[in-house]
Amino acid sequence: MITHELIERIEGEALIDFRTDRSGRVQDAQIRFLHFRGMEAILEGRHPLDALVIAPRVCGICGHSHLIAAVEAIEAAYRHSGAEVKLSMKARSIRNVTKFSELLQNHLKWLYLIMLGESAKLLREEHPLPLKALNAASQANRLAALFSGQWPHSSYALPGGVTCDPTHIEIMQALKILAELERFVEAEVLGCSFGEFETIRSYRDLTALGGDFGKLLQNVERLGLADTGHSHGRFLVLGEHPGCRSMAIDGNTRRAADVANVSEDASAVIEGKTYAKNALYEGAFYETGPLARALVSGRSVIGAIHEAHGDSASVRIAARMDEMVDLLKNIRRLIETLDLSEPSYIAPPPIETISGEGRGIVEAPRGSLIHTLRIEKGKIIAYAMITPTQWNLGNGTAVSPGVAQKAMIGAQSRDKASFLFRTFDVCSVCTTH
Amino acid sequence: MPSKPAKFQIVWLQGITCNGNTHSFLNDPLLGSLLDKVRFLYHPILPSQMSLRELVVKIPKSDLLIVEGAYRGDFERGGAVMEKLLPALAARAKNIVALGSCASFGGIFKEASPESISGIVYDKSEATGPLAAMREKVINLGGCPAHPEWLSFVIGMMLNKRKVALDELGRPKELYAYTVHNGCLRNDYFEWKVDSRSFGTKEGCLYYEQGCQGPFTHGSCNKILWNGVASKTRAGTPCFGCTEPTFPKTDLFRTKTYMSIPSEMPLGVPKRSYLALAGAAKSFHIKRLEERLIDDHA
Ligand code: SF4
Ligand code: SF4
Repeated sequence: MITHELIERIEGEALIDFRTDRSGRVQDAQIRFLHFRGMEAILEGRHPLDALVIAPRVCGICGHSHLIAAVEAIEAAYRHSGAEVKLSMKARSIRNVTKFSELLQNHLKWLYLIMLGESAKLLREEHPLPLKALNAASQANRLAALFSGQWPHSSYALPGGVTCDPTHIEIMQALKILAELERFVEAEVLGCSFGEFETIRSYRDLTALGGDFGKLLQNVERLGLADTGHSHGRFLVLGEHPGCRSMAIDGNTRRAADVANVSEDASAVIEGKTYAKNALYEGAFYETGPLARALVSGRSVIGAIHEAHGDSASVRIAARMDEMVDLLKNIRRLIETLDLSEPSYIAPPPIETISGEGRGIVEAPRGSLIHTLRIEKGKIIAYAMITPTQWNLGNGTAVSPGVAQKAMIGAQSRDKASFLFRTFDVCSVCTTH
Repeated sequence: MPSKPAKFQIVWLQGITCNGNTHSFLNDPLLGSLLDKVRFLYHPILPSQMSLRELVVKIPKSDLLIVEGAYRGDFERGGAVMEKLLPALAARAKNIVALGSCASFGGIFKEASPESISGIVYDKSEATGPLAAMREKVINLGGCPAHPEWLSFVIGMMLNKRKVALDELGRPKELYAYTVHNGCLRNDYFEWKVDSRSFGTKEGCLYYEQGCQGPFTHGSCNKILWNGVASKTRAGTPCFGCTEPTFPKTDLFRTKTYMSIPSEMPLGVPKRSYLALAGAAKSFHIKRLEERLIDDHA
């Protein structure tokens, strides 16, 4: 039987065409995204710096990631054309602080607004709106805004640095907000201190956690989904940031990843059916996002659990939660070591003198984000994006399925398959830029 | 015992969007007390009574229809085309808010297809959108995204049955009578014509070279601040005029000049007066404004 399911409460909407057997078990799931907007074409012909204003508008929840990808692409174009563009450590760190804050708020919203709610719905339980989580997410955004001017949609990064000029006041404010966020994650998300969390080695201990993260894992277990949702076991990280480098993992082999092996495949793009192109690495579907990053960074809890359980739904969830702890640690270090006496911005040569191609790669909340542009004397000639969800939500065939597709095949029901789909943190606005 | 008053019912519909207004609204620090008084019949992320499918089939009555995102007739939501869905929901709504620049004027996404994409009442500044005939009940909250306080102000006014005074583009005067320039910390520099020369400093005004549109952009960004702590100009970023029907212009980080004078004047200032004033102001050299505010950084 074929059924078309409308998936909402993601960023945007998606359609999944399920093929199920008599018992309702999912045999195939085709994912469709319908809302193409043409961001790349909007950018072409414009002044290169305009990309810093337009590109963040690809996505209202990860605009900072798009901003950083865009500015790094322009900086790469500078270097490619032989011009120098310098960046202070301070500017680099500030860009990472805002980017990490954005990851953090994304993960909080995903946990509280999407996953806890959807799992409760499947269990036919009440799930009141978690205002505490919205408050925490908005604190993370406030932290970003201290440097970036606003969240969402800021354009504070420029080739050569950042526009802001923080003083000790911003630093003290940032530390206060950070302490509040740390408290929230310890008390509400984990239900234990970071110290205790670090000693956890087994999946059992994670599910026993008293916080909302533990609750989600318990819900997933009660739904019988903990050990389901396995995909290809291939992982990819293309962006680099403190604690994370570019790498491809395939079973037991790990190798440095090379963006030259990335390709896009538009065979699944059919007008009116779907606008999402597949993103492939060495011609195959790879999973990107928090689980891939955790495995690359060698974060011990996730590594151990992955070893025991493979790439199951619960491991995927655990990786996103564990990343919150890691992000907080990194943000603290970056803020505490920020050297305010360094310049925020070092003016590069005028962009009107630059012709060249550049690529910016960023680890966005949902995975690797790539912007590639070509500029000619102050004009964008070509602009291309590959977004995180293109990797995870790419559409293959029943024989050679994409990452999320594979995870859904075999699910006992369409509802459960849809839930597994959401473990990937789905975004249709970025998939169909 | 008086019966509990019925909650104010809201439908939140998305057209062509990035979801930025949704996420901006979630930042409202007083969201909880607002949500006590309203009920979402449909919202894309917050808990609501109906699913999207139910919404497009039932077309419920509402006290307020909030539209986020630009309009294109054949764009689909939940399998229904906007051409049908939007007027139907609008006809059954007591009030309508176009939230953000896309719904208000077309915004960024209009650039992709200028002939077919518009705001719900306005296409840029022309009132030729699909709800033009209902413009009396539409409030435009331009901004990319709209500030959460702007929306909660308008909802608050509706809850308290007060009339919102609007400007000629349907924007609440209390929010858009200000310019972004109003309240900007760089005003000292603006007055004395001290430009900021470089990005990345807290000193200097961004109007003369870096493209700041604050002096002719309506919005209270520097009055109520973003995320409670900042604004673009406070973070050294020029205002891009995102609340205006002209958004997005081009060449956004550079001031267009004519004979080295900015070609767009502060709101309501005739070029001649500006030139006279600028000449005089420039002749002053105010040491305080030529130095760093805090030079002992470390
Ligand atoms: S930076 Fe912009 S908003 Fe601020 S004073 Fe200068 S012109 Fe006005
Ligand atoms: S400062 Fe200008 S660009 Fe920034 S949000 Fe306000 S109106 Fe928009």
